[in-house]
Formats: sequence, C-alpha cells, structure tokens
Amino acid sequence: MTLLVQSSPRLDRVETEDAVASPRGTRRLAWGGFSVLLDRRSLAANLLLLVLVLAASLAYLCFGERTLSPAEVLAALHGTGDGLSTFLVSALRLPRLGAALATGAAFALAGCLMQTLAANRLATPGIIGIDNGATAFAVASVVGLGFGLAPPAMALAGAATATTLTFGLVLGGGTRGYRFIVAGIGVGAVFGAITNLLLARVAIDVANAAYPWTVGSLSARPEGAVWALTIGLALGLPAALALGRSLSLMGFSVSVARSLGSRLGRRRAQVLITSVALTALAVAVAGPVGMVGLLGPELARHLASRRSVPVLASALAGALIMVLADLVGRLMLSPLEIPVGIVTAVVGGPWLLWILIRPRSQGVA
Amino acid sequence: MIASAAHRRLAGQGMTLAGLLLLACLASLLWGAGDVGAERALAVLMGHGDDEARFVVGTLRGSRTLVGLAVGMALGVAGALLQAVSRNPLAEPGLLGVSAGSAFAVAIALLLGTSAATLRVGVAQLGALLGCLCVLGVARFRGLGHDPVRLVLAGAAFSGLLAALTTLLLLFDQRAADEIRFWVVGSLSGRQLADLLAILPSFAVAAAITLLIARPLAALALGERLAAGLGHHPGRVRLLAILVVALLVGGATAIAGPIAFVGLVVPFAARALAGPDIRRSLWLCLLLGPLMVLVADVISRRVVAPSELPLGVLTALCGAPVLVAVVRRRRLPML
Amino acid sequence: MNAVACSLEARKLTLAHDRTPVVVDLDLCLPTGKVTAIVGPNGCGKSTLLAGLARLHAPQGGHVLLDSSEIVRLPARELARRLALLPQEARAPEGLTVAELIGFGRQPHQSWLRQWSAEDRRVVDEALAAADLHSLADRPLDSLSGGQRQRAWIAMIIAQQTSLLLLDEPTSALDLGHQLEVFELVRQLADEGRTLAMVLHDLPIACRYADYLVAMREGRVVAAGPPGEVVTRELVRELYGVDCTLMHDPQSGAPILTGLRRIRE
Repeated sequence: MTLLVQSSPRLDRVETEDAVASPRGTRRLAWGGFSVLLDRRSLAANLLLLVLVLAASLAYLCFGERTLSPAEVLAALHGTGDGLSTFLVSALRLPRLGAALATGAAFALAGCLMQTLAANRLATPGIIGIDNGATAFAVASVVGLGFGLAPPAMALAGAATATTLTFGLVLGGGTRGYRFIVAGIGVGAVFGAITNLLLARVAIDVANAAYPWTVGSLSARPEGAVWALTIGLALGLPAALALGRSLSLMGFSVSVARSLGSRLGRRRAQVLITSVALTALAVAVAGPVGMVGLLGPELARHLASRRSVPVLASALAGALIMVLADLVGRLMLSPLEIPVGIVTAVVGGPWLLWILIRPRSQGVA
Repeated sequence: MIASAAHRRLAGQGMTLAGLLLLACLASLLWGAGDVGAERALAVLMGHGDDEARFVVGTLRGSRTLVGLAVGMALGVAGALLQAVSRNPLAEPGLLGVSAGSAFAVAIALLLGTSAATLRVGVAQLGALLGCLCVLGVARFRGLGHDPVRLVLAGAAFSGLLAALTTLLLLFDQRAADEIRFWVVGSLSGRQLADLLAILPSFAVAAAITLLIARPLAALALGERLAAGLGHHPGRVRLLAILVVALLVGGATAIAGPIAFVGLVVPFAARALAGPDIRRSLWLCLLLGPLMVLVADVISRRVVAPSELPLGVLTALCGAPVLVAVVRRRRLPML
Repeated sequence: MNAVACSLEARKLTLAHDRTPVVVDLDLCLPTGKVTAIVGPNGCGKSTLLAGLARLHAPQGGHVLLDSSEIVRLPARELARRLALLPQEARAPEGLTVAELIGFGRQPHQSWLRQWSAEDRRVVDEALAAADLHSLADRPLDSLSGGQRQRAWIAMIIAQQTSLLLLDEPTSALDLGHQLEVFELVRQLADEGRTLAMVLHDLPIACRYADYLVAMREGRVVAAGPPGEVVTRELVRELYGVDCTLMHDPQSGAPILTGLRRIRE
C-alpha cells in the first residue's frame, strides 16, 4: 500500500516540522497532528500497473474473432459506433472484460492477503486447496446437490470448509513451513476428487458443459455470481487497504508483533475472512484460476516497494494478468478457446517451480 | 531377516493379504456396473450360466481384473522404489510428476497420429523416465531432496504444469481428445487382455532388475556414504531404480491412465506392517497394490451405477488423507 | 615412525571440493592396532580426509594405500570387507531395530545367492555382544538413548568384520557419559587388534582416548604421533589460536590442557 498512516509520535511536538526526516524513498505529507508517508516507488508501481491494465483492457476489446480498431471500440463505448461493433463490444466483450478484471483482482488480492497472513509465499488459496473446495461445492450446486443454494453461496461454503480443514490439519504446526502447503495440497486433492465424483454422476453433456469451468474459464459467467463478486470486491478491497499496517506486521513472529502493540488475533480473522470470501466469489464466476493468486502478488512485489504489503498493486497486477491470459486464450487457437485457467497454469507452473528450486526462497521458512 | 519371528510374521501377513486379494478378485468378477448380477456371475464361476453372463464375467471382468492386478503391483512397487531412492516417504509417482510426464508423452504421441497399443506403452515409459529424471534431477541439483515436503511441492507444481500442457494439446485435436479424455482421469474400464500383454515384457524386465537391486536399495536407506561403505554403488543403484520406476509407472499409465496416490498409500501400509526394510516391504507392496486398486475399482463400478467413476477419484479420496497424515507428523521420517 | 606398520597410508593426497583444495599433499599413516584421532580446527579438512581415505571422495592427486594396495583399484565389495566407515550423523529409516541395523553390516559378505547364513548370524551376535547391546537387539533404533544408538551404529560396522574402522565425529552430539560409552567400545575394539581412526574436534578427549594423534590445519598435517609427545603448548596455539598450560593426567599420563586463553592477534 502506498499510504502508511502514522499516528504522530509525541516526539514530533518538540521537533520542528522540517526536522522530521521521512524514510528514504518516501515523501511525508503532514496535516496538523497527522502525517502520511507516500512511498514513491509504490506510487509509481500502482500508476504503471493502472496504465497497463487500461492498455490491456483496450486490447481486450479490440481483438477477437473480428478485430476492431481502437477508434471503433471507443466509438462503440460512446454509443456512436455501427451496429456490429457496438454489439461485439458492449454485449460480448465488455461484460467478459469486466468479469476478467474483477476475478483477476479478487484472486490476486486474496492471494496476497493469504500469503501475508500465513507468512508463507506459497500459501495462496489456489495452492492450499481453497479454490478446489469452492469449486466442488459450486459444482454440487450446479448438479442439483446444493441444498437449494446458488453457486456463489455454495462456493463460499466450500471455501470456508476447505480453509477450516487445511488450517485445522496443521493446528499447532504453524503456517510458515512447507507442511502447511502440502496439507493444503492434500485437502485440494480430496475436493478435486469430489468434483470429479459429482461430475461423474450427471449426464455426459452436462459434465462436458461444466468441464471448462472446472479448469477455470470466463466463457460461462453466471449472472448473479458476477454481481456477488462485484459487491465482494467493493467491500473487500477497501477493507484490505485499511488493514495495510497490520498486514506488514504479520510477517513477524507473534511475539514481535504483539510487542509492537498490534492486536493481531482480530486482524488475522478479518484478513482470513476477506481472502476466503474473495476467492469463493471469484471461483463462482470463473472457476479455479488459482495461479493468478500466486502470479499477481509476485508481480506486484517485484514492482512495488518492499516496505509494505502491496495490496492495491496485487489487485491491479491480478486484473492485468487475468485480462492478458484470457486474451491469449481467446486468440491463440481461435476460433477454439483455451480456458483461462489453462493459460495461467502454463505460465504459472514454471514460475512456481522456480520459486521452489531457487537457492533461497524468501518468505518460506 | 534376522529373527525368524519377523519371518513368520511376514509370512502370516502375506497369507492374510493374499486371502484378501483373492476375495477382491472374486468381488471384481461378481459385481459390475452392468446388469449381470452376483448370482448370475457366480453361476458362471461354478461352470454354468448363460452366454451373456459368461461373456461379461469371463471376457470383460476377467481381463479387467487381471489388468487391475498388474497395474496395482506396478504402482505399489514403483512407489516403494521411488521412496527408497529419494529417501522420502512422500515420493509418489503421481505426486512427483512421473505419471503426468507419461500422460503428456502419450498425448503428444496421439496428437502426432499414433494409436498402436505397443507404441503407446513405449512412449508412456519414456515420458515417465523423463518426468522422473526431471524432478529428481532438479531435487539433487538444488538440494531439494533433503526436504521431503519441498520435493513434493516441486512435484505437484511440475504435475500441474504438465496436466495443463496436456489439456492444451488436447484442445488442438478433437479425435485425440475423445480418445484420451476418459483415459486421462485413470480407469480400468474396458481394458483388454491385449493391452495387458503389451506391457508384460517390460514388467518382467522391471521385476528382474528389482530383485537385483533390492539389497543395495535397503542399504541406501542408511545413507549414501554408508551404502558406499558397505560396498555398493549408490549412483548405479539409483539409476537402475529410476529406470524400473519408469518402466512400471509408464506401463501402468499406458494401460490405465495416471492413477495417483496408490504409490503413496501402499508402501506406507507395507512399511507399517513389515517395518522399514524394503526387502520385506516390497513383497507386501506386491499384494497391497492390487488389493487397493481392485477394491477401488469394484467400488468405482458400484457407487454411481450404471455409469462408472474414474478410478483416480477413489484413490485420491483415500490417498490424500494419508498424505496429510504423513505430513502432520512432527518429525518427518527419513527413509 | 618407520618402525610402525601402517594399515592405511596416504601419500601426497590432495582432495578438493569443486576445485577448492581442502586437503593438500598430505602424507598420513594409520598405525595398525592403534586408535588414531584426527584433530584440528573447524574446516581444516578432517572429515574430507576421512572420506578420501574411505574412497568416498575421489582424490585430485596422490594415493591411498590399504595394506600397501592402491585403494582405487579395489572393487567396492572387497574394500567394504577391509575398511568400514561410519559417517557423521548417520540416519536410519524409522522403525529399524538394532539387530536389523547390524545385519546391514553383513552386506559386503553376502551375495544375491547367499543372502543370510549361519556365519552372518554368528557375526551379528558377536557384534551385539561386543557393543553390549544384546538386551536391546529387538528395540527400534529411535527408542534408544544417544549413546546406545551410536553403539548400535558402531556394532553395524563391527559386523562388517573389517580390520580397519573409520569413524567421523562419533561423539559429536553426545553428553559426557554417552561419550565415554562410545570411547570405551572403541578402546575395546583396538585391544582386540583392530585399527581405528576417528575424527574428533575435541583435543583433550582425543588426548585421553587415542594412541596416536594427527593434528591438521588448513588441509595439512602439522603434527603426528603419540599424544604425550605431540601435544605441546605451541601446537595448541598453532591449531586453535589458544594459549594454555599443559599438565599430565596422574592416572593415564595423557596431556591435560588448563588455563585456556584465546590469543588476540
């Protein structure tokens, strides 16, 4: 996050305003008793990512089975384009773009929060089985075993179940090490099997229709799910931004954080709930595209300053990755469509391997 | 090995397991997804029964049972060998990307237009070998091998990548996709005796090598230096063992698709019964592997009858808890 | 020194890790029937030397002779019947019993067609007796105390029936009582006529239990001989940068170091 709100220390009063040197690379803005640190690098990173997201979005609207020029797209957006381009842009591509932006931001934000919470760089919801849990429950709803609940609600229940299982299984073992991750992989494998089990029970054409969704795809977006995700993101992103300072304390051991005066217990719960809810809602829209939850925060961390947890940058980076991945998936084998989950897996797999095998993996104890 | 009591116990366990395996074979012949029930099937086994039942039991279920036996043995033994080589109780062909490697190789071969059963076996085995060498090579290169859990993570990432690539390949070619889609989730359904015959020669080679390297492998469990101190050649033994794993997993995958977790659960149970010496646990793996596969197969035919459940689903359901249980232990056992 | 018969001899031995020489042009003799201790400061190449002597580390140059035959020429099994090595921090699979572990020591004497003989059984029994482990034979290794476990590992290499045993820091993780347990066993093996060499980081302990001391520094031997003759104030100073007063144990005559002070340079 770019804004570090400091409650003014008492020492400030005896010093003159000029004497308060801000840390390197930041600019201190002060109003009365409050002061704000702007991190120049993070600010630049967020702006850069925002520009990239806008550019990718424009490209997303331009390219497809029929390529439109940027001018045509803008005209269509203003409602002044011809019939076909208006239909392509506003009826087909724009809703899908919105879903891509929202799911990408949600997955990456959830990933960033979970990594921070677990103090473990590999602990993204996709890797520790939460995506699979949400998927299994959502599929149950689709095949008629949902207790009358809609897929987003079932996805929430599934994500909560998987989270409880993974965290419960390592109870006392801590979340920092690799064991937590492997326990999550085990939980994920069980839910993956349950998804297959559910799909095997239904008619083959229903199963075939559900297949792209189980590997992650934006082609079939349930209407209600998109709205649920939008609301979730509108609540979750500000909440995560507000948690910024507590988040950067979570990398320390509990005793250090406590001695720094943070009430981590409650903050942890808030972070966990936000992360799990965002994951579930995004899964309800696009299926398990968990790799974005790993790649988004990675990209954000590379660009932004290391001083704080890159919450906003992660969300932007996730949206960027999702839009680009879906664009590639739509174009590469056109008219055939590659599910976006496959594209991100092909890109993210080598990256994950690299994190694992490089000499010193930071952030994983 | 030393105390004859241990010998007797092993023999007792072996007899019990063999009995259970016989029951599982019987169950596999009696129950199916179709409408030839247990009574009609039993009549066939008694030497009479109608033609339809005779065909279903003798040809369909009979060959399927034999395939299940072979696949189970192969996967169980491969798991035990891989774990001994990497000294890692979590090393499982499915988890480490060996099965995914062979599935990927088969997908490429199908895409290039091959279809002959024997070629598929060779391709699958080659893919398994490459997958195995990749993961273990990376592990040695980076010292990952010392951390059992991290090796599994790298394997999981590797398998995920290969699975995504396989799916991607299948998108290119509808014919290959239809041929492979059911195969890729792992199943014994519709497998014939000819399929089995195609993999038997390589299994025989694998068995011969396994017998030769069992003793040095057991010593390798004490550490590379000690094994060398006892007059073995650890490097040579490791390469041979990896070759055997590739032959077995590649063969099993070619016939039944990638089936995860059998290679984890079976050696885990065998060690619990027979102790850590691979010379003893390997024999139990030979019985436990087919037992697990056949039982899972019978269940997979029954739960969603008249359709069938992929076998991989059931093995994952029973294997993932074992994985978690192993990981949860405070001190990960070294093998 | 020429009068001593050498079980194992190194001549101009050079060992390297990735081209960084760790042991340089080293000459060494392990006298037959004696307990030799190889001592020196951390990182002086002691463990690498031991690995080189056991052919686990290929030499960059020079030779290792086992009873005057080139060690590199010996087949692996033949070597394993004449020389046994216990590496540092040896770890066994979980659940292995003491007797099973010792059984592994018989592997160099077994073949694919002769996997377990009455002879093997007798030797394992003897090794159990030698290490005083009979009552623990069927206990899993994990359930033993540190000293008992180390005795079991030594029993395993006893069962290898070699005349030469190399031990790398056999007591590094043990408390005083457990250390004595191991050293008494080592002494007893030497009294039975075997040659032993162990890497130790503790000079006073080495003085107390070894017949012959090899002091190393930066990959070279700086002194070799009986502890009473070799250990001097100058040697301690050269090895560890420590000043001390030398006394002699009234019972054994072994050198004792007192008044240790670090020398600031």
